[in-house]
Amino acid sequence: MVITFATAATGLVSSGLDLELSFSQSLQGLGISPQVAHLLWLPLPMLLVLVAAVVGVLVTVWLERKISAAAQQRIGPEYAGALGVLQPMADGLKLLMKEDVIPVRADGLLFTLGPVLVLVPVILSWLIVPFGQNLLISNVGVGIFLWISLSSIQPIGLLMSGYASNNKYSLLGGLRAAAQSISYEIPLALAVLAVVMMSNSLSTVDIVDQQNGAGVLSWNVWRQPVGFVIFWICALAECERLPFDLPEAEEELVAGYQTEYAGMKFALFYLGSYINLVLSSLLVSVLYLGGWGFPIPVEWLVGWLGQSVDAPLVQVITGSVGIVMTVLKTYLLVFLAILLRWTTPRVRIDQLLDLGWKFLLPIALVNLLVTAALKLVFPFAFGG
Amino acid sequence: MFGFLKKVADYTRDAVDAANYLAQGLAVTFDHLRRRPITVQYPYEKLIPSERYRGRIHYEFDKCIACEVCVRVCPINLPVVDWVMNKETKKKELRNYSIDFGVCIFCGNCVEYCPTNCLSMTEEYELAAFDRHSLNYDNVALGRLPTSVTSDPSVQPLRELAYLPKGVMDPHDVPANQPRAGQLPAEVLKGLSLQKDSSPGDGGESLQDAPDGEQSAG
Amino acid sequence: MTIATSTELICFLILGAVVVIGSLGVVLLANIVYSAFLLGGVFMAVAGLYLLLNASFVAAAQVLVYVGAVNVLILFAIMLVNKREDLKPIEGLALRRLLSGGVCLGLLALLFRVALTTPWAVPGPAAVGAGATERIGEHLFTDYLLPFELASVLLLMAMIGAIVLARRDVLDADVGTGDAVNQALVEKPQTPLLIDESRS
Repeated sequence: MVITFATAATGLVSSGLDLELSFSQSLQGLGISPQVAHLLWLPLPMLLVLVAAVVGVLVTVWLERKISAAAQQRIGPEYAGALGVLQPMADGLKLLMKEDVIPVRADGLLFTLGPVLVLVPVILSWLIVPFGQNLLISNVGVGIFLWISLSSIQPIGLLMSGYASNNKYSLLGGLRAAAQSISYEIPLALAVLAVVMMSNSLSTVDIVDQQNGAGVLSWNVWRQPVGFVIFWICALAECERLPFDLPEAEEELVAGYQTEYAGMKFALFYLGSYINLVLSSLLVSVLYLGGWGFPIPVEWLVGWLGQSVDAPLVQVITGSVGIVMTVLKTYLLVFLAILLRWTTPRVRIDQLLDLGWKFLLPIALVNLLVTAALKLVFPFAFGG
Repeated sequence: MFGFLKKVADYTRDAVDAANYLAQGLAVTFDHLRRRPITVQYPYEKLIPSERYRGRIHYEFDKCIACEVCVRVCPINLPVVDWVMNKETKKKELRNYSIDFGVCIFCGNCVEYCPTNCLSMTEEYELAAFDRHSLNYDNVALGRLPTSVTSDPSVQPLRELAYLPKGVMDPHDVPANQPRAGQLPAEVLKGLSLQKDSSPGDGGESLQDAPDGEQSAG
Repeated sequence: MTIATSTELICFLILGAVVVIGSLGVVLLANIVYSAFLLGGVFMAVAGLYLLLNASFVAAAQVLVYVGAVNVLILFAIMLVNKREDLKPIEGLALRRLLSGGVCLGLLALLFRVALTTPWAVPGPAAVGAGATERIGEHLFTDYLLPFELASVLLLMAMIGAIVLARRDVLDADVGTGDAVNQALVEKPQTPLLIDESRS
């Protein structure tokens, strides 16, 4: 693990902000060895990303409640803070204060382990989300593949909590979640594979770099429109968002695998699902919408203004523009997901599996083949 | 071969149609975001109940003659009339009267049939209680008058949909002097009498026949 | 010893302990669901070992294939047929356990002997690191193409076999004898579907 982090830190010749380098240099100025400085640096971005993920979830929850209210001509949360921005915080505090109930006939160990197993892979996946050329925790070589493999751990947690609750609704919900997750993993991976084929790399940074040649025109969404739609549908299914929220379908399964959960353990599920939504939106923006790229390449703008790209101020501005663009794209997709939630009815389980196996999978395969063919025919446009 | 191609074409058309419908649905949802909320922020804003609102029953102990008509017309014989016959005066002497609002269906039969008008419907509807037994109102509780929404200083009264001016959906910020859509019963009656005066040939008709008269006049 | 190597050693010891204890748990625990979950833990620990060897692609593939697919399917199967039934006591259980334990210990001893007597080339070849993905791809499509394709054919056969076994299909004729088959009561499992003995 240490080696991976080390290679990730040193492997890339940096262009743009390199916070780690300046951090370690300033510490070495204080007489601390580079290794210790690296060790001291390691937890900082992780902590930052954890905070960013949680804040992102708070914002998403607030947005979800406000947009849902607007779609139904309600006002939504209003009294906790201005426009109710503190409402998610209040919800979280309430869940924190609630009693931690473990049903008598439940399996206590697995019951506790389940939500953790659901949350941890999702947070781990934030490792590979880039907000800028060097603004990510770890530029792992396997990048996007790491995310796909990590997200496949989640169904185990769902099955575990479903089984441990000792409740038929929980078990059914867990089984449905696992079935859904496995079915949609495959078209999702195939859609990602087509993108990877064009950028010749699994690393998220390379994928974004490959899209930012000509601003908005070179984004992958124009070259991979089918893949974009497939990825988005599969991401919604993986996040168990409507119209694919069968594992927690209220009318049939009470709340699915989270029926027996209360307090902080329930909050972990809640947090996990929203972090997953934000993460999926982030990855859609990274894979298809040019990640941190501005619609017009920043280098051109800087060139027109007659500045050097390497100037410190320009670098800071570029970095912040990158973060803003990533977050903006992400929240546009979150908005779309919320809009979809209030537009589409829930599909049945057989329709869900039909859509996954009989529609998305063949189309994803065709998309992959077509991408490969186009890559051979037009190597300049499809990453030869 | 062509059968297979036709199948593929049908399938593709279905998929495109589905995407189209989805887009239409999204457009509808998106359009709803444009509309302003018309919700009533309940504890701070309240709708003014209509004149015919059947809320909690008000009861005047002094008017009651303990005839028990209310009990007889009640679908479930709910009112409890506790009286004794005073042997000396040979009159009923009322001791207690109670209605359990946890059971009452607010049909209003008792109010309709009360010979002395000691029962009446109020506009109070906030009957929530921590214990269902406290919903059993005795004659003292039944005698209390509700706080009117319009006179409560902590509440913003709002008009109900039927009482708003024509075309207005949002009760907020509607001036108090703007009339409701349509005519008040008094105005309807006034219009009818004017019509009656203008058409002397149909002089002897009743109110129910008025529309016919209008047609023949037209 | 630098910080990096000591961290590596600690990680290795923890992962090794998890693998050994976890796999013992998989075999020895009575509750099959626990065994399945522990199996997932063992797979994860093995992935961690790959990560320590700087083979991140293999580690991710291990997690994706073994934890995400194989283990989830095992769990799925266990939970779909989660019937609590009391097993019949087996004759001479103690002797059987003793015998199987002996066989396992013998195997372990053999492995230990192989591990101790083989002259390992320490340190091994340098880790490929980030280039592993391409190297694996190259190998899969050149010198390992035949085993790779054979494995995929094998998997396809297994899949078709599973579908044939699990699927309740309606056949016109008996597969073995070629006789016509009564299809009237396909939904009732009491009557044998394919072999109609009254006809033969």
